Amino acid sequence: MKFLKNLNMAVILLAVITTICFSPCFSMATEQNLVVISAMPVILPDPALAMDWYDLQVLYNLYSPLVYPTPEGTIRPHLAESWEPVDGKLDHWRFKLREGVKFHDGSELTSEDVEFSMNRFIEMKQGFSSILGKVTANAIDDYMIDFTLDKPNAIFPETLTLFFPLNKDLVLENIEDGKYGEFGDYGENWLLTHDAGSGPYVMARHEMGESMDAIRFTEYFLGWEDWEANEEPIERLKFIMETETSTLMMMLKNRQLHLEADGGFSRQVFKEIMESETLNLNQAFPQVITVWMNTKLPPTDDVHFRKAILYAYDYEAILGEYEPFGARETGIYPSTLPGYIKIPPQPRKQNLEKAKEELSLSKYNPADVKVVFHYCGGLEFEQEICLQLQADLSKLGINVEIVGPPWAQYEAECGNAETTPNLTIFRFPLNYISADSFIYFMYHPDNVGGIYAAHWYEDEDLGNLIGQTRETFDFEERHELYQQIQEKIAAQVLAFYPYEIPALFTSQSYLIGPKETFPVVGPTINMHNWRINLKTGK
Amino acid sequence: MGKHIILRILQAIVVLFGLSILIFFIARIIPGDPARLILGPLATNEQIKELTEEMHLDKPFVVQYYYWLTSLLQGDLGKSLYTRRSITTDLKMFVPATLELMFFSFVISLIIGQVMGVFAGYFRDSWFDNLFRVFSYIGIATPAFAIAIFALIIFSYTLNIAPAIGRIGLWLDSPPQITGLFVIDSILTGQWRTAFEAFKHILLPAISLAIANIAQEGRITRSSIIDNLQKDYIIAHKVHGIPTRIIIFKYLLKPSLVPTVSIMGLDFACLLANAFLVETVFMWPGISRYGVTAMLNKDLNAIIAVVLFIGILYSLMNLIVDIVVSYLDPRIRLQRGGI
Repeated sequence: MKFLKNLNMAVILLAVITTICFSPCFSMATEQNLVVISAMPVILPDPALAMDWYDLQVLYNLYSPLVYPTPEGTIRPHLAESWEPVDGKLDHWRFKLREGVKFHDGSELTSEDVEFSMNRFIEMKQGFSSILGKVTANAIDDYMIDFTLDKPNAIFPETLTLFFPLNKDLVLENIEDGKYGEFGDYGENWLLTHDAGSGPYVMARHEMGESMDAIRFTEYFLGWEDWEANEEPIERLKFIMETETSTLMMMLKNRQLHLEADGGFSRQVFKEIMESETLNLNQAFPQVITVWMNTKLPPTDDVHFRKAILYAYDYEAILGEYEPFGARETGIYPSTLPGYIKIPPQPRKQNLEKAKEELSLSKYNPADVKVVFHYCGGLEFEQEICLQLQADLSKLGINVEIVGPPWAQYEAECGNAETTPNLTIFRFPLNYISADSFIYFMYHPDNVGGIYAAHWYEDEDLGNLIGQTRETFDFEERHELYQQIQEKIAAQVLAFYPYEIPALFTSQSYLIGPKETFPVVGPTINMHNWRINLKTGK
Repeated sequence: MGKHIILRILQAIVVLFGLSILIFFIARIIPGDPARLILGPLATNEQIKELTEEMHLDKPFVVQYYYWLTSLLQGDLGKSLYTRRSITTDLKMFVPATLELMFFSFVISLIIGQVMGVFAGYFRDSWFDNLFRVFSYIGIATPAFAIAIFALIIFSYTLNIAPAIGRIGLWLDSPPQITGLFVIDSILTGQWRTAFEAFKHILLPAISLAIANIAQEGRITRSSIIDNLQKDYIIAHKVHGIPTRIIIFKYLLKPSLVPTVSIMGLDFACLLANAFLVETVFMWPGISRYGVTAMLNKDLNAIIAVVLFIGILYSLMNLIVDIVVSYLDPRIRLQRGGI
């Protein structure tokens, strides 16, 4: 029995150790003025590599773009003070830079940095560079720079919200061997764990796949204006690479996470957050839920069959569930953008009679065909649309097969017309602040295929019309063209659009912001746009 | 024994070579286009084609394998398509985190499993034995990730007494890298607060990971103890009035540990398999979490590197188990010609 006594002693010892180790964990946000933000497992904080909204959110904190989006859907000066096409030519733009902008190492930003950064961006051919096309930069003087494009582009300044100049000297000091000749690797390896920007925060540490720390840049060129009493600028940011819902919710509830910026929660979780007194649900940029119909694959190669799907879908069934979160009817591009028009079906509801009518005009007999509908495995909001359509089409006798492959497979399937399923579903935000972000990359014949254009529809006339928008400088005139384009696309039924919904971010109530909400990805999570209330956060 | 070890090392090299061929081809068969994934959804067809050629993905599998093997022999595991860094840098960062987690899990399961197994076996059918039996059934049947989530809900959320994620507090900086194991590195550099924080952070994930092994090893030790208790020499010791403590630690424990040690090699590997989900739940920046991300993103070089690392670890553990078992059981040692 001596052993049982020893066992008791061991248990007591273990209990003491456990008590010491598991002392209460408190949130350190207000004590340290530290804000913890969730991010994806891998963040690419290099302006030439960034390719997703999560990367952009980080970039807007570390770097400054040449021009900045506005909440109203236009652009405003930022690093560039003004811009204009040279001699009215839309393939030659001149930008005047703001003077006195400092990089994080204290050196001043000049047109030489901008020239280097643009050439680097284009030469590396990654990330968002394809949006800009082929661009050559030439510094005219310290604060004046010219960009020459291979084609006229009236929307070029808008695309520069995705262009973040780097500190040339700093990058060149840190180049390693690489494939870019005298520029080695263009600083690619170094820039994964360091920054060379002029944004409101400076990268302090980046452990890839784990976390990234950034501290406030007190000499940020826009300054740190006072907000209300007790609303302080955030001194330190920590992006943590975590996406597991249960862990994130736990951290939000324990105030260990202060801003959940992935917006990847399910409807149920968002409901819970809305009911919480300590958490805020913020609406940011709109995202259009789009179901592409492959026009090269039977039976969706028949326009009447596609129209039957368009009318058979019960739009109200799912939209109603998301309305409390800001969801609404949508079309070819987000309804908040200038030039948006409503497209069929109007009113936006299920019309089985019309669907049957269209089906009778189709060359396919519903009993003889199968519609294959793929969604990205694990995304609940996509799966529920698949299931809804399956139920709706069964009323017409159409069999729908639903598959949810993982992202890598799903994306690869859409790279080829033969492997793209009949229907594929995606959620698209605006990458830059223009309808062009949707129209050009989704419907221009040069960009057909891939997830942005899994309809595989090629129409030269449509391409010419879209090309015309890029040659039209006048804002109103351009939007008239967009309206014509939307009508043309809608007539071909390349997709149906269940709803649009803002990206939803969860924040602790003592985080004040965002001061401005932007319709594009990135700037809303620029933490210069937020403050922390150190009193209420205690 | 020396010959035996050399033979086992040679066998391991052959196994790893076979494994590299197998995983190289499997990684390429997994659906997905690596070039498209790297360049993002807005990439042009021209960009995708260029990168495909640059990565030799347009070449036959055998040629691709030749390029990969040539680089490997020069010590270059390639570049991760997802993190954009050299795989070696990624491994240097992620492997120590997993090793630290596995080490703590292993120690916890070793100590608690053995102690519980010995007591349950010695005091067979007592309340402790019955309790342990229930615990072991639950421990073996419940997946580690489920235990991890329960632990998170109870200790981190409800009681708020344990940190939920990461290797150290969010407001602390990592200790300077010496071994890569945070607890040890912070002790070596005299950062006591960081060491304490690192220890606190590793407890929940390590315990979640260890539960199944505690149950399994405890059960095996218990059975082994019960078997050996029936042996004549133990009965003789009891009859001669030798104290229980000496019977257990001197005469009973060593022979009873042979089956447990044999299974420990597999259990250690099992820790790595379970770590895939536990690391995700606790945001533990280890090789398992890295492996999951690599597989989901068809990061070819990273997938191969992770699988090879696991293969090396398995081979190494089996070798260590062989040596330890030989030490514990003289019959095996003698069969192999002695150490």
